[in-house]
Amino acid sequence: MNIADVQIVSILPQTLLLAAALVVFLADLVWKDRKGIGLLALAGVLATFVATVVMLAGPGVPTFQHMAAADRFALVISLVMSAAAVLAVLVSLDYIVRVDLPAGEYYGLLLLAASGMMFLGAATHLMTLFLSLEILSIALYALAGIRTTDIRAGEAALKYFLLGAFASAFLLYGMALLYGATGTTSLAGIAAAVPSVQTDPMLIAGLALLLIGFAFKVAAVPFHMWTPDVYQGAPSSVTAFMSVGAKAAGFAALVRVLVAVFPTLYAWWVWPVGVLAVLTMTWGNLAALAQGNVKRMLAYSSIAHAGYILVGVAAGEAGVSGVLFYLMAYALMNIGAFAVLIALERAEEDAAGVELERMRGLFHRRPWLAAAMTVFMFSLAGMPPLAGFFGKLYVFSAAVRSGLLVLAIIGVINSVISAYYYLRVVARMALAAPAEEAEPARCPALTIGTGIAAVGTVLLGIYPTWLLNLVQGTLAVLFGG
Amino acid sequence: MSIVLACLSGFALAVASPWLYRLARGATGWLLALFPAGLFLYFSSFLGTCIAGNAVYTAYPWIPTLGIDLAFFIDGLSLLFALIITGIGALVILYAGEYLHGHPHLGRFYAIILTFMASMLGVVMAGNLITMFIFWELTSISSFLLIGFDHQREQSRAAALQALLVTGAGGLAMLAGLLLIGQANGTFALPHLLSQGGAVRQHPLYLPILLLILLGAFTKSAQVPFHFWLPGAMEAPTPVSAYLHSATMVKAGVYLLVRLGPVLGGTEAWHYLVTTAGAVTMVIGAVLALWQTDLKRILAYSTVSTLGTLVLLIGLDTSLSIKAAMVFLLVHALYKGALFLVAGAVDHAAGSRDITQLGGLARAMPITATAAVLAALSMAGFPPMLGFINKELLYEAKLQAPRASELITTLGILANVALVGVAGIVGVKPFFSKRHTTLQHAHEVAPALWIGPLVLAGWGLFNGLWPDVLVNPLITAAVNAVQPEITSVELKLWHGINPVFGLSVITVIAGVGLFLSHDLWFRENWRAWLLQTTSRISPQRLYELGLVGLNKLARAQTRLLQNGYLRYYLLTIVATTIGLVGYTLFMPGLPTVTTESKLDILVHEGVIAGIIILATIMAVTTRSRLAAIAAMGTVGYGVALLYILFSAPDLAMTQFAIETLTVILFVLVIYRLPRFALLSSTPARIRDALVALLAGGMMSLLVLAAVAGPFQSHLAPYFAAHSLDLAKGRNVVNVILVDFRGFDTLGEITVLSVAALGIFALLKLRKEH
Amino acid sequence: MEIILAIVIGVLYAGGLYMMKRRSIVKLVIGLALLGHAANLLIFTMGRLVRGRPPIIPTGAGQLQAPFADPLPQALILTAIVIGFGIQAFAIVLIKRAYQTVGTDDLDDMKATDGI
Repeated sequence: MNIADVQIVSILPQTLLLAAALVVFLADLVWKDRKGIGLLALAGVLATFVATVVMLAGPGVPTFQHMAAADRFALVISLVMSAAAVLAVLVSLDYIVRVDLPAGEYYGLLLLAASGMMFLGAATHLMTLFLSLEILSIALYALAGIRTTDIRAGEAALKYFLLGAFASAFLLYGMALLYGATGTTSLAGIAAAVPSVQTDPMLIAGLALLLIGFAFKVAAVPFHMWTPDVYQGAPSSVTAFMSVGAKAAGFAALVRVLVAVFPTLYAWWVWPVGVLAVLTMTWGNLAALAQGNVKRMLAYSSIAHAGYILVGVAAGEAGVSGVLFYLMAYALMNIGAFAVLIALERAEEDAAGVELERMRGLFHRRPWLAAAMTVFMFSLAGMPPLAGFFGKLYVFSAAVRSGLLVLAIIGVINSVISAYYYLRVVARMALAAPAEEAEPARCPALTIGTGIAAVGTVLLGIYPTWLLNLVQGTLAVLFGG
Repeated sequence: MSIVLACLSGFALAVASPWLYRLARGATGWLLALFPAGLFLYFSSFLGTCIAGNAVYTAYPWIPTLGIDLAFFIDGLSLLFALIITGIGALVILYAGEYLHGHPHLGRFYAIILTFMASMLGVVMAGNLITMFIFWELTSISSFLLIGFDHQREQSRAAALQALLVTGAGGLAMLAGLLLIGQANGTFALPHLLSQGGAVRQHPLYLPILLLILLGAFTKSAQVPFHFWLPGAMEAPTPVSAYLHSATMVKAGVYLLVRLGPVLGGTEAWHYLVTTAGAVTMVIGAVLALWQTDLKRILAYSTVSTLGTLVLLIGLDTSLSIKAAMVFLLVHALYKGALFLVAGAVDHAAGSRDITQLGGLARAMPITATAAVLAALSMAGFPPMLGFINKELLYEAKLQAPRASELITTLGILANVALVGVAGIVGVKPFFSKRHTTLQHAHEVAPALWIGPLVLAGWGLFNGLWPDVLVNPLITAAVNAVQPEITSVELKLWHGINPVFGLSVITVIAGVGLFLSHDLWFRENWRAWLLQTTSRISPQRLYELGLVGLNKLARAQTRLLQNGYLRYYLLTIVATTIGLVGYTLFMPGLPTVTTESKLDILVHEGVIAGIIILATIMAVTTRSRLAAIAAMGTVGYGVALLYILFSAPDLAMTQFAIETLTVILFVLVIYRLPRFALLSSTPARIRDALVALLAGGMMSLLVLAAVAGPFQSHLAPYFAAHSLDLAKGRNVVNVILVDFRGFDTLGEITVLSVAALGIFALLKLRKEH
Repeated sequence: MEIILAIVIGVLYAGGLYMMKRRSIVKLVIGLALLGHAANLLIFTMGRLVRGRPPIIPTGAGQLQAPFADPLPQALILTAIVIGFGIQAFAIVLIKRAYQTVGTDDLDDMKATDGI
């Protein structure tokens, strides 16, 4: 192997994150200042963000050893991921001190997970897909159980792990079958081989197993069962990050495999994906409706959002840019909503997440915090002119264009159901506050994080074109040329 | 550019208004009212253009990839609405400043109501369907925030949510319809749509499109059976009811129907659906209005009736009916706005809105009373009010309806008689009936509270006397925007004695009779019975039941699916997989599953395979932890042996090493865990075993199917040829791992490190706590 | 011979799935290990079985002479085995910790997080 051939620059963001994780782990050995370590992590994710932006702006970067691409698709995913990571670190700075989490492990695992997610978004080879999935999964298993004092966290981590390992086995089976059918493990190679063997049931069975593996990662019904537990059991900042990051990574891989590798089998996979989308939207929304705990409500509703995105996936090539746009919008609004919960969360009493009743009177106590939450709730409910609305508009109109009118209409009905429970939060915040209520946390980093998310949600709604231009036609270069 | 500014500057002012309120306090209302007043003058300047039937269109690219422009479109129809929105807006803002004087969140109120005004202007002036939808939903949201403004009360929150859910749901249905229209016509731009005419009518999805759009219009404009949110919305502060829920927002649906009439209308389906909904709403609203006791609820139901009439007129779709609708729109905004504001003033001054408690206020509140009577006269259709002209037009249009004109006219008379009664009840009774003892000390209200109603009601009189001055040009412009041929509308107060005049006289006499006998039929026990009966079958009840049902369903299905049993989760996943993969196995083109082996079976290999199978069975069935682990180890070593036999020595070595480590690890930990217990019941075990065997069998078949086909590795020859010359290694597997696919190995190491770190984190934390 | 291996894979798969559905977590982990073996053997069989021709270039030769065993699946499996070990080790520690926190290894008793 010639060193000059190793185009390390094409995996620069991922490498930066790995390096940052390493630095954080080492610093933790000698430095006991949790905020300081947090700032180190922040520097790492900011550098990653900048690197991603520069790469997006610059000329194309070659593929990395046919293993990982730095095409626009991967870079947009990296952008979503690093934005999510920046926000997640910002909201964690004060929070992990408050709820007493170990800084080194926390930030280190967070960065590793983020790096795995980015690799998954860039993977163009079955092996890279599998490895990056494992990196992100194991880091997330550990993060999910990092709150050792909480029984819920322990249980949730265990269940997540067992189900996750199971799903990984499926993925591996699927890959074996794909290899068996096509004789190659690179996505480009498989894509080239597919037309000649596309009636081979082994190929389709492999695709089906792959689909199931990714459906698990994006928490599509009926592969979602780990989600509510893990999202509730994990520290809120982790939940915020993984609900966005793991989803974006899973969808990136799913889209790349389905749309770029198996376009000729669209007629086959549109059915399972469409059915998954309907189940996921409907079930997620109905379950969210029944929740009295806001954190758990957001967990279930994140399942519903996976369903909306699946509508975009089902639309095939027409839906790719919609999926990317939705992921970015979801990153901003969902992490934002969690940031508000983090501000409200008290270390002991709210171990299970903030109850709906605790939102009472927020408009009177912290009008700006409440206003930000209102923006997030409206956006999550898909109200114009916020980011969430354009996300839905984009995926639903793609579905209409692909002739999936029924999917779009079911999505619209689901949006109405979701409006009910999101707006319940807004209505609750407007009520008079009980007198003994504790003051929500004030911390500059948290405020900045919430502010960025809120402004981003509004701006992405008012002026979505820059992102739309970015995500337009990413498919054309899906294998990095 | 100035049109864009005019539409959007409201949003900027909304953002600034809380600060303005901090500076200007009590004078804020007067200051802010200048803004809509200025816009009113600005929009008036378009009158000349619009009378000639011309339109102004400006578009700026906003989201070009989706065909969405920030486009504005002014024709006579938009203009009529824009003038109503800004004109009444100015008066309402002025009024609200006094009405909510001293309210802790008045600044926020200004912000929301200005947002609403800007959004409403956006709806009627948007030149792009999606842009219109965005403004449309913004009006729903600001209505939500305004209804819930007095949010200490549970009722007002429930009403706000209900209004938003009903109109929001309709709005989203409309969005689906708009997307389909856009797809059918290839554009969302209004001028292009209008010029393409009926392309949508030939579309195979015409009926769904029509239904979706009507759903949006009917929910917003409170047509039966979606009308129930409007009386509920009366929880809002009165200026909001006057502005949003009678003069402007509820007319958005009417606007949409008129606007899309040239695109969607003119078909049988359109005619029947729209006319029926309108007629039913017209009658039901008027009848229900008579039985209410709360001034605002009476007005709300009469608004429902009016909206029904408007929709009915649009459904009739004659040039006369459209003209009548335009006039009615204007008249209603004037008198109903005035009456709402009067109701607020009465509430403010007398402390009640209950008509059974109000009376004799004329002496204490002479100016308010004047405004109330003028507005009531217009509503009842007495000459010389504009309402009289309008009533004549309404009857004329109904008499000339293309179908079932007798039925429509009869229903119209019924509704109008009831509305004359309502006009008396709200406009006359509180001021001139016997004074009630329980009233608090009533007094005339501050000027800001009577200017609005007096101006609105006075305009009703002025325009009735001299329709040429303002009404005729305005209605001409509006009609010319909708009708293909350019006409000039000439409304006159006096038409001479004809059948229409006869109907007007009959209506007024019957209505006055109804009003005068009010005390007779409006008895408490009657009323209670009637309201109870209707509430049992009302759509409101259906909505509540639906909500309860939805909540129950949500709980039930969550309990069912999220039951906490990991194995059911796994079962679901496996079952889905079997379904998905199994179904592909029965697809055509499957290579025949063959038992015919390519390689013969050697005895020692068979023995090893047998050992693996036996060990697996043992691992599964044993009750001893140690035996299970030993069996597991045996399986691992057996697999390693297979690797050796089939030319994979590297795998075998790795497998041996790893298996040994795993067994050691297990043995170290196992004594810290409880013994195996027989936890599951026998039926559960049998069920699990069956599913497992099914899945296992499927896998076996898959393997057989796979190996039956020909196979050509695309990469193996390359590696075989180049391992030595490129990578200087003879063991091809090793070369692949460390050289050709070195990156994989790096990833693999990363995975292991992450696992190690995770383990470390878990163990270390355990120690600390 | 393929049919024998197909049966072995099927049995491993069935056994692993059955164990995954037990209530005791330790059994679950054993199930996971069985599934891992099944997955590896599956990949192995997909690359076709070849007796006694390991993909090692003999001394003196410049490249492999056909027939030889497909080296690529072997490389994949090697990675999978090692990662499988990482996962197993992680699982064992996680179980130990969960047992210490929750005080049971019966999954049916671990329902604190579910429900509404």
